Amino acid sequence: MTTLASAGLRTQAKSWKARVRQRVWRLAPGDLERVVLRHSRIYILPTPRGIALIATLVIMLLTAMNYALSLGYALTFLAGGLVAAALLATFRNLAGLAVSPLGAGEAFAGGVLEFTLSLASGARQRIGITVAGRQGLPGSVDLPPGATRPVALSIPAPKRGRLGLGRVSVSSDFPLGIWRAWAYVHFPLTGTVFPAPETGAPPLPPGRHGSFVGRSSRLADTELAGLREYERGDALNRIAWKAVARGAGWYSKQFEGTGGGGTLELHWSEMPAGLDSETRLSRISAWILAAERAARPFSLHIPGTLLPTAQGASHRRAALTALALFPSDSDR
Amino acid sequence: MTAKKASLPLIQAQVYWLGALLVSAQWPLWGHILTWNAVAGAALVVARVALPPKWRALTRHRRWLLPLLAIAGALAIRSDLGYFLARDPCVEFLYLLVGIKFIEARDTRDGTLLICLALFLSLTQFFYLQTIASALSMVPVLLALGGTLAALRGAAAAFDWRGQIRATTRLIVQGIPLALLVFVLFPRLAGPLWGTPTEAGGRSGLSDSMRPGSISELSLSDAVAFRVDFNGPPPPPADRYWRGPVLSRFDGAEWRAMYRFVPGKFVPRQPRAIEYTVTLEPHGKNWLFALEYPSALPRSPSNDPLAQAGSDIAYLTYDQQLVAKSPVSQAIRYTQRSSLRDSYPATDEYKREALQLPHNNPRTLAFAKEMREHFDSDRAYVNAVLAWFHKEPFVYTLAPPLLDRDPVDGFLFDTRRGFCEHYAGAFTVLLRAAGIPARVVTGYQGGEMNPDGDYMIVRQSDAHAWTEAMLDGQWQRFDPTAAVAPSRIERGLGAAMSAGEPVPYFARLEMTWIKSLRLQWDAVNYQWQRGVVGFNLERQRDLLRDFGLEDVRPWQMVAAVAGVVFLWGALLLGAARLRRSRVDAEVALWNALCRRLGRAGLTRAPEEGPIAYTRRAGERWPQWSGVLARIGQRYAQLHYGPPDPGREQVLEHMRTDVLALPGPRDLNEGAGPASVAPRQPETVE
Repeated sequence: MTTLASAGLRTQAKSWKARVRQRVWRLAPGDLERVVLRHSRIYILPTPRGIALIATLVIMLLTAMNYALSLGYALTFLAGGLVAAALLATFRNLAGLAVSPLGAGEAFAGGVLEFTLSLASGARQRIGITVAGRQGLPGSVDLPPGATRPVALSIPAPKRGRLGLGRVSVSSDFPLGIWRAWAYVHFPLTGTVFPAPETGAPPLPPGRHGSFVGRSSRLADTELAGLREYERGDALNRIAWKAVARGAGWYSKQFEGTGGGGTLELHWSEMPAGLDSETRLSRISAWILAAERAARPFSLHIPGTLLPTAQGASHRRAALTALALFPSDSDR
Repeated sequence: MTAKKASLPLIQAQVYWLGALLVSAQWPLWGHILTWNAVAGAALVVARVALPPKWRALTRHRRWLLPLLAIAGALAIRSDLGYFLARDPCVEFLYLLVGIKFIEARDTRDGTLLICLALFLSLTQFFYLQTIASALSMVPVLLALGGTLAALRGAAAAFDWRGQIRATTRLIVQGIPLALLVFVLFPRLAGPLWGTPTEAGGRSGLSDSMRPGSISELSLSDAVAFRVDFNGPPPPPADRYWRGPVLSRFDGAEWRAMYRFVPGKFVPRQPRAIEYTVTLEPHGKNWLFALEYPSALPRSPSNDPLAQAGSDIAYLTYDQQLVAKSPVSQAIRYTQRSSLRDSYPATDEYKREALQLPHNNPRTLAFAKEMREHFDSDRAYVNAVLAWFHKEPFVYTLAPPLLDRDPVDGFLFDTRRGFCEHYAGAFTVLLRAAGIPARVVTGYQGGEMNPDGDYMIVRQSDAHAWTEAMLDGQWQRFDPTAAVAPSRIERGLGAAMSAGEPVPYFARLEMTWIKSLRLQWDAVNYQWQRGVVGFNLERQRDLLRDFGLEDVRPWQMVAAVAGVVFLWGALLLGAARLRRSRVDAEVALWNALCRRLGRAGLTRAPEEGPIAYTRRAGERWPQWSGVLARIGQRYAQLHYGPPDPGREQVLEHMRTDVLALPGPRDLNEGAGPASVAPRQPETVE
């Protein structure tokens, strides 16, 4: 992400060539706030179906010319008028649409990272607005006049680290599918991709209070300590389903595990010596999730970062983020 | 960067739309194509739409079954028409092909192909007919076109057919000004781009030969041959001889034109000169028609000196025929001058061909020789023959008996029943046999004034044949039909025929209200033919001149069209912007406020919201803090709040507040609000 941001800054300062390139292709994340799509941003070209239709009209025109068919001209030009009116309708469907960045989610490597944008229709109805990132499935929405809708974009996240949304195309081929209008927006939205939890990771290392106590922690876990608001990533069997069913909202059960499970220390250096750093990160990631499931507080000790013992979603996120941003071997 | 969209299978609603498009493109062709083909092509379309899904397994055999069907259809068309690589068989094949393609259509890509084929197919109907009705048949095609395109774009749109038709209508109406403009300004060609579009197979009209039965067959048709606008009063019926092909060569049964393209001399303009403009229906042949006898070359109806110079559309042959330079393949208009007379000066040059006679019809030859001896002058003989036709019991009929060997003999002495071609042919033979140069002239005789349009209609039922003979150095017109049935010349075919003859409807005499209605309809059609169908290079030039655009260069035309297209787009988009501007009025006000405060030294930070910014401004200019806070709140309410029925009022208050603020200098010099507080209902929370 840092490279992208600096690229954006560089573009602003650089030559007119770079400015034109940025204006045409929007390769740098230069859109810092809400973008209202205007003619300067909107491109429009015929779709393959539109090309076929226009080619047919050309053939019809040649035929009408050769045979001097006045009504042939009339039919060709009326259909041509329809095509031209569709061009304007397609443009209008996109012009004036406002796109704003809402936020970026989190994901484990190998999953998908969800970004959210918001579309505001302004005065007119918008139909079939497709929002597509560089990868992943495009989202498509219809907006009544005056409406604002979030649109989620799922971008595959193969590697841990920061993942930028990149350039997004907002497009539409409404109403006839013979023209496609599109505009590029490039927000500096980035999400964090945590290292993928190692599958078949070894069990949690023994806690501070000894492995014996750790073993009995499952029993101790069964004592309910209280409820806290549900956070993404909480285990399904910890959700307070009764509260959900009452319509009271989403809560997760907190168990009295602190005393039983014992505090964990997740140490980079206490892992087998032969492991490479990515495997270590994956294993710690798996352990963090396991600790969260077991409701055991943990502290994180990796080179460059030390997180004191704590518990809860924000702690977990801080720990996973530290793992995500851990410099990779190639960086060093 | 766009992922290539996979072709999606067609859903039934899309199939309905495609079916509607195909049928609306197909049905105008019924009646112009082979009957079996019309039925088969339409049946394929109906089958695809109507059959239950399990019967549509055909699509699975598309690899071999459908090419087979197409080849079989092509062969059948080839064997029925006798040729394939020409316009009509191609129309037939395209008609069938859309049905075959539709039967096998599986996905939206097939749908695209079908749309293109159907659109082209709907153009082909204009090869055959360009009437008002066929123009109206474009409407369902265009509506179905828009609907099908929308249905293929998104399956959801396919279901709401009413809404789709409304939306398409709106698009078509928006496109009409553009289409109209391009229709008028698009450069028309003087000739075809390739080939000769003259395969006017079924077009009726006079031909360059005449055998018994050919004109009477033509006389059964009500079709319009041409229409005439007279520059002055129309000539009396007896003078309405419209000269067409002149037939000099006789083989004993058939009369043929000579095609000797020798330029002729015009008759003197005086006496009784007349000027008129003919709108000739296309007949695929080279001749033009003029009242006897033309005294000038036809010219395009305009007074355009450019068009006239060196661009004569026809020339005059030695036998006073007007021959066009290219076949009349589209309706043309020309202004013609004639001198109304019944003879013109002859030269001896082509006397021999006007005396040529085969040796059959011996009774006729003997009769002529014998009768000639009774008279001392050629003229007396000619008048005697005419009197003989009048005296003897000849019958003027549309349905004469057939004669095979020596047809002139058989007609003159046995059956004595015939139509004008019999009389003109036999009379000419009688003159030639007596040594008088004579030839057959075909054309039209008569014409009906349309009471609703002040123009004359000449129909195929007015087709006629007469004779001209060289007497005393003049080619003199004689009409033996007039000797037999004088009313044919004075009052037309309907008067000359006895009851029970199959006289065409318009040739009948009685003026029923239906006939008058149909004449009014003809007047409309005439305008249609002239103004729309006949809108060619000349009419385009006329129209441009009417607008004072005489010598427009092509690039100027292109520039003008581009400019108007741009204007059209700007108008349509501008209309949308006007509608939107009401909604965005608060933004304009807010921007004005930010500019004003910015000039006064307080720039809004990019991330600063309206409330925060106006509060900051209120701290800087405390005397305005109330007004500023109200502006900020109202802007936030209008711009970010839910839709508000009272927004116009809120907007008005916001405008009052913004306008109440002084300029930057006064603001910084500490000017306060006016002592009289602005009328502000304190409804803002």
